[in-house]
Amino acid sequence: MTLGRADVMEKVREHLATELEVEPQEISEATRFKEDLDADSLDLYELVMELEDSYGVKVSEEEASRIATVGDAVDFVLAQIPA
Amino acid sequence: MTTVALDGRGADRGPEVIVAGARAAAADGISLRVFGDPAQLTALDGAAGIEVVPAAGEISNDDEPVAAVRGVADASIVLAAADVAAGRSDALASAGPTGATMTAALFALRRLHGVRRPALAVQLAVPAREGPPTLLLDVGANTDVRPSDLVQFAYLGSAFSQAVLGVQRPRVVLLSVGEESKKGTAGVVEANRALVESDGIDFRGNVEGRDLLAGSADVIVTDGFTGNVALKTIEGTAKTVSAAIGAAARSNPLAAAGGLLLRPALGGVRRRMDPDTTGGAILLGLRGVAVVGHGSSGAAGIANAVRLAARSAEQRAVERTTELLENAGATRSAMRDRQEPE
Repeated sequence: MTLGRADVMEKVREHLATELEVEPQEISEATRFKEDLDADSLDLYELVMELEDSYGVKVSEEEASRIATVGDAVDFVLAQIPA
Repeated sequence: MTTVALDGRGADRGPEVIVAGARAAAADGISLRVFGDPAQLTALDGAAGIEVVPAAGEISNDDEPVAAVRGVADASIVLAAADVAAGRSDALASAGPTGATMTAALFALRRLHGVRRPALAVQLAVPAREGPPTLLLDVGANTDVRPSDLVQFAYLGSAFSQAVLGVQRPRVVLLSVGEESKKGTAGVVEANRALVESDGIDFRGNVEGRDLLAGSADVIVTDGFTGNVALKTIEGTAKTVSAAIGAAARSNPLAAAGGLLLRPALGGVRRRMDPDTTGGAILLGLRGVAVVGHGSSGAAGIANAVRLAARSAEQRAVERTTELLENAGATRSAMRDRQEPE
């Protein structure tokens, strides 16, 4: 089964909604972690580790530091998964 | 039986103190899984209640904690923390590097739902009396905090004091530069105002640094920068004053005689003030128990760190913290909603 963008987005949305206690519908690809979700580096690392565990990808420290939006996080996962 | 995952590496005084500390804790009926180099832990072979789990990797004080914890998958502290997360152990204890221990615990055990920042708490013995110690938090996990973080620390500390230290109604105070509610940084003043209106805890207002060891409070709340400076100041002052008293007591025969007469009475104070007695700090606000022992722990310190971890698990410290936070409306979302009324 091919993993689609919508699948990864749903995973990210589900994680953030649970951990940050925000409504899922408030989270879109354009949502910014810091400005819109009040998330800090700790929140971001928890998301990164969740994605690493779920999809078997590896996000480096440098890559993690460049993730600014929800869409960025989805991009990093999809870029490492063969189409 | 409660099982504690013990980091078998990283103690400043070597594996010998880990071995002796593990044996002492096991003698109390605590089950241990010790993660480390089996060759260094052969003295634990066949010890009742103790299982040595091989862990080839090690993280040192020189390593950057986040990169090391994410990069050294077989490090003893990483495997020990994962053991608790997987439910094979009930609590974590380590006397290894503080940063790596906190990071491994944070990543494996995760934050409690509704907690923005976990806090590192230490037990301060009150020199003038027996009885439960005063809990000081945060002592270094967060150098920059928001007023809402301080409010959450108050709940984390109160729940721990009640559950593990046995204080029925912990008196909670905020560390500042004056007892008046308007004294302090803007963040402290705002936290004071929020705490006055908080439910479920017994907030008694501000205290000053001179009150840290007075025993007038059960939980003292501050940010990690101030808390760390305060803690190190206490430790340094105690050491310096203790050395000066010792020197004075040896300065002439009459003083020496007086010192000898006082020694038995001072023994109890010394024991209470010994960092090994409390077993170290505890990282509060996680979904599991994590005790961060002193790097310089002796065998007694290791054993007491394991005992503190076991007691915290047995007393359901995590569950009781969750209940208190939720019942009092002190979760991250509840406080955010109060700050941003629609």
